[in-house]
Amino acid sequence: VLKTVRVVFSKTGRAKFISHLDLTRAMTRVVRRAAIPLWYTEGFNRHPYLTFAAPLSLGYEGLRETMDLRLEEEMSMEELVSRLNEALPEGLTALSAAEAVAKAGDLVAARYELRFDCPPVVLNTLLSKPEILVEKRTKKKTMKTIDIRPAFAKAVVEAEGEGTLVTVTLPCNNSETVNPGLLLTALNAGFETPFHCRVLRTELLLADGCPFR
Amino acid sequence: MDMKEKLEQLFLQVQKPARYTGGELNSVMKDLKDVAVRFAFCFPDMYEVGMSHLGMKILYAQFNHEPDVWCERVFAPDTDMEAFMRQENIPLFGLESRDPIATFDFIGFTLQYEMSYTAMLNMLDLAGVPLRSADRGEEAPLVVAGGPCACNPEPLADFVDLFFLGEGEEVDLEVINLYKEHKKRGWSRKAFLRACADIEGVYVPSLYDVTYHEDGTVSAVKPLDGAPARIRKRIIKDLDSCYYPDYFVVPYADIVHDRAQSEIFRGCIRGCRFCQAGFIYRPVREKSVDTINKQSHDLCRSTGYEEFSLSSLSTSDYTQLEPLLDSLLDWAEKERTNISLPSLRVDGFSEELANRLNVLRRSGLTFAPEAGTQRLRDAINKNLSEEEILDTAAKAFKGNWTAVKLYFMMGLPTETLEDIAGIAELGQKIVNLYYANPDKPKGKGVTVSVSASCFVPKPHTPFQWEPQDTMEQLQEKQQHLVQSVHTKKISLSWHDSRTSFLEAVLARGDRRLCQVLEAAHRRGFHLDAWSEHFDFEGWMDVFRECGLDPAFYANRRRPYDEVLPWDHLDYGVTKAFLIKENEKAHEAVTTPNCRQSCAGCGAACWKEGVCVENR
Repeated sequence: VLKTVRVVFSKTGRAKFISHLDLTRAMTRVVRRAAIPLWYTEGFNRHPYLTFAAPLSLGYEGLRETMDLRLEEEMSMEELVSRLNEALPEGLTALSAAEAVAKAGDLVAARYELRFDCPPVVLNTLLSKPEILVEKRTKKKTMKTIDIRPAFAKAVVEAEGEGTLVTVTLPCNNSETVNPGLLLTALNAGFETPFHCRVLRTELLLADGCPFR
Repeated sequence: MDMKEKLEQLFLQVQKPARYTGGELNSVMKDLKDVAVRFAFCFPDMYEVGMSHLGMKILYAQFNHEPDVWCERVFAPDTDMEAFMRQENIPLFGLESRDPIATFDFIGFTLQYEMSYTAMLNMLDLAGVPLRSADRGEEAPLVVAGGPCACNPEPLADFVDLFFLGEGEEVDLEVINLYKEHKKRGWSRKAFLRACADIEGVYVPSLYDVTYHEDGTVSAVKPLDGAPARIRKRIIKDLDSCYYPDYFVVPYADIVHDRAQSEIFRGCIRGCRFCQAGFIYRPVREKSVDTINKQSHDLCRSTGYEEFSLSSLSTSDYTQLEPLLDSLLDWAEKERTNISLPSLRVDGFSEELANRLNVLRRSGLTFAPEAGTQRLRDAINKNLSEEEILDTAAKAFKGNWTAVKLYFMMGLPTETLEDIAGIAELGQKIVNLYYANPDKPKGKGVTVSVSASCFVPKPHTPFQWEPQDTMEQLQEKQQHLVQSVHTKKISLSWHDSRTSFLEAVLARGDRRLCQVLEAAHRRGFHLDAWSEHFDFEGWMDVFRECGLDPAFYANRRRPYDEVLPWDHLDYGVTKAFLIKENEKAHEAVTTPNCRQSCAGCGAACWKEGVCVENR
């Protein structure tokens, strides 16, 4: 059985505008460019085996994202990382690689840092409400109203320069995912000139709070 | 917020922001302190289209190969992005640096089709650069343009400082180098442009005075200030030693042709009389197998592309096609890289090669007979016989293919309704052929797609004097075609005759059309190549306002002795030859291709390629 290699990488700067679909295509080319002996699926339309644990929304940055691949030949993980970095474009950096331990289904949550261009009082006011209702698009493209207050119950709010840093861990698994951008949606619902928020995903987490590796 | 911060916010609000963000794999960043010349390479259409264009990839890499030149890419923004840019006062910027292109030294456009002219004007406007050359000051960027439409650039003469005629690799750098010299020794825009006019392949329209007869035809084009009376296009003599990029910028966004491309030759031996490319790129010059093999492999390695295509006109005319494919397949198979080929020559390959090329994995076969009867194919010199088409289709059907695409033109010179009916008949024969095959796949029908475009007479072709059919005539022919088809196995599609009409006007237009284009731009017309943005009635209003009749340009037969607006531009092919070819068309007499015998077109003046090969 071929082992699955999990590459940890960051996606920042200009690369945050690469959509998930485009990232998959770009990474396939990066891996080919790096001449990494990738395993191809069997069958009529053979394609390289390459998957991501959790898609990152367009516009968000990620410090420790993961990508799984399968190799056809043995190669050292240091070599793999250095070859990837030679082939990666601006904004994408490979940090480490190792045989995957956790299964894809073991991923349960993700930690985020949200940077708002408004003072902490604005966010504290919002977060102290008994419920925070926002409209969310469902997979069937209909809208439904959800309460994000429980998901943000443990969010830490602090001042950072003239703005606010919110640190929060949100569910990120097959049964439930909360997009951190919903907090901005809720915030702007009451204001005429919208605030902005930069989203950084800092870690993907297992049930015990350890990093997904 | 400064402009770059505003941009970051904008990117989050528009569709497919990866078209505007830059930073793609292999895009070139430079330190401004090392840069003497900044060049904005503009494609007057959207990213998806422009990023597919090979010429831009070649020149982008070649300019950036010069240590002190920084070339950046610029495309027309989509409507949502443009609205935001105008609202937030963000001028058009280079994808690499995100700096406004109004601060660059050169703004260069590639002119691939006439319907992109308004996009070009809109991009200048978005950049904040005055549209007319005469209104641009000493320090404004130089606006330059090249590409096939530069073979009659007169409708753009008032907007562009200089045009490059022919192939760009050498002449573009000569102009950039001259620019550096002039900047060093004291800059005068006028003196620089005058000096450029002495470089072969450079046309400075402001150095020519055009006068007209009372009936609107050109009476004379007079050079001023000692500029040359005729301007000759440039060609690359030796393609093997000519610069070719060993990398392409690999886009994130999905584009039209997302693959590596290897150019295998320039020019075309065929001489189809309607085809501008077949005349303006003469003579045919091939690259060697070794050069193509190396360039293809380098490109695939540097891009990671899983597919590459061979690029040229009429690819099957490459003299070493089988040896080339053999050597390409040697590494492509190992590296799991696919070679994409036009399907026409599938029948000519050995079974082994066909298998290696995975040709059976494809489902469709494409032909361009262009005309429905042999008589009309002879008249346009399209040397493809019905027998060849049916033979290839029969072989393809034996290989279990079930789809055939056929491309035709309507409104060709000498065409009658009989020729139109011939289109349907040819389609029917292919349908019948499919059902005559005893081994055809069970339960599967055949689809023959017939696509009919409208013929547009183009400059520098034997049909440059021909009237285009009126829109009414074309619509009548389209109706006749519909009525001639008697099976549901043939699906028909055709082009909008109104777009083709405007294309015909602009293709053979003169300088008086500059005011039409400017007025069309002021009305907000841009992206006319996209049918949802094309406002035909609005265009006709503009012509009326400017007091010009579009039919004068599109639908009038021009006498051989009329001065054509592009007569002072020399593409090597002589007017005497084009007249002879026009006469032969009317007699339905064909001309052998360049490898069979020399027809004496005039391109032998360069003493290169097929003109000096042993025949």
